[in-house]
Amino acid sequence: MDCNAAKSRFFAYVDGELAREAEAELEAHLADCPACRRLVDLELAFREAYVERLRPEPAPERVRERVAILVRELADARGRARRSRWAKPLARAAAAALLLTVGIAAGVAIDSWWERRNSLAVFAQAAVDQHQKLVRGLLPPDIQGVSPQGAEEWFRRRLPFNISLPPLRDESLRFLGGRISHLGSVEVAALEYQIDSKHVSLFIIPDESYERLRLKEKPKFKVMNHRGYDLIIWRSHGTGYALVSEIGSRSCLVCHSPEDKLEFVTDAAAHL
Amino acid sequence: MSPNEGADFHRLTLDHLDSLYNYARVLTRKPEDAEDLLHEALARAFRAFRRFDPLLSYKAWMFTIIKNAHIDHQRRRRNGAVEDSGGEWAVEALSAESPLSSIPLAPDDILLRQETIGQVRDAIRRLPPALQEVVELRDIEGFSYQEIARIVDRPLGTVMSRLYRGRNLLRTYLVEPQRAGHRGARGLTDGL
Repeated sequence: MDCNAAKSRFFAYVDGELAREAEAELEAHLADCPACRRLVDLELAFREAYVERLRPEPAPERVRERVAILVRELADARGRARRSRWAKPLARAAAAALLLTVGIAAGVAIDSWWERRNSLAVFAQAAVDQHQKLVRGLLPPDIQGVSPQGAEEWFRRRLPFNISLPPLRDESLRFLGGRISHLGSVEVAALEYQIDSKHVSLFIIPDESYERLRLKEKPKFKVMNHRGYDLIIWRSHGTGYALVSEIGSRSCLVCHSPEDKLEFVTDAAAHL
Repeated sequence: MSPNEGADFHRLTLDHLDSLYNYARVLTRKPEDAEDLLHEALARAFRAFRRFDPLLSYKAWMFTIIKNAHIDHQRRRRNGAVEDSGGEWAVEALSAESPLSSIPLAPDDILLRQETIGQVRDAIRRLPPALQEVVELRDIEGFSYQEIARIVDRPLGTVMSRLYRGRNLLRTYLVEPQRAGHRGARGLTDGL
């Protein structure tokens, strides 16, 4: 090992991050090279004099107070949402009232992301971002190796909104798994499928968040292309859905059999 | 999330708040944006907390969430490609302007100058963002190289390279504060 190679390893050495073999090589060089030994000793002295005394600066008291309030509000909102979920067996009128509570609770919890930027374009961006992360393996699944119905049960026990997954209706369709994920700060169910080895993500969105997408008027679905990805967004039985893929209307196989007529997909294409 | 989990989240967050806020400041470079970023990250973390493994580092987990929230925010704001904090191109520009071989590694001059901790901290803040980030994560927060790679979502080799460049540049700032500051203003921080 020459001195240049040795110098390139000094930081990792004093950080204790060199592999055992590389560390042995460097120490052999240091034993024979007083100049490099001196540099390492100085580096250790520099570390002792400065680096080891560096600490994160205290957060301002104002920040500390606001964070404490935020965390309390999040906990309160979650508590209200849980209580409303347990009350489902009650009479319809009571359920409606509790749904309002869920909406209020979620409204408090959902950060200003939705409030400030509730456009479809922003939603599409968030869905594409999540799809990319899922495809790249940056968001590992919470469950895999189960059927869509198994996943449905898993999500129903963990999310406070209706999760309904169709059975696999085509041989080219594979269900890879799912996770609880976020679009912006909205908690959603994220499902991963493959159709002929092409990835398709299905996001299931709580109704109160979906309503902010301005899709209440007909048509209650939207087909669009955003940053090269095909999105189909729709609402059914009080729950929002978004499909993201690069295979256009073929992604509809997640929910429909190949024989189903899906005229809206070809007719309603709208590009952001 | 159970009441106990909520209390755990509250306690862990306040225990690590200085680090969390500082990292948000490193990424955004503005105190007001840092607070917004921190709030968004905490909202995300709260919802995901039941999946957090208490045997792992809460701080490392939160840093990853802050980083992801920051990337998402940049994407939304620019409605286009993600820029890493500082951007790869900025690090390359730094490399072209200050080849590693020309940067003195020896910290003896700095030791002789008897800089204060405050001066070292100021010098770290003047580093290009991508380099400042890894120097802060290692030298102030004490993360391992592997943890840093996970947080910044970059290969281990990139982390080591940035740390090497960042620490060496930091030393040039400390040895030659005026000259390095001038160069930094013109060549190293423009457009980062």
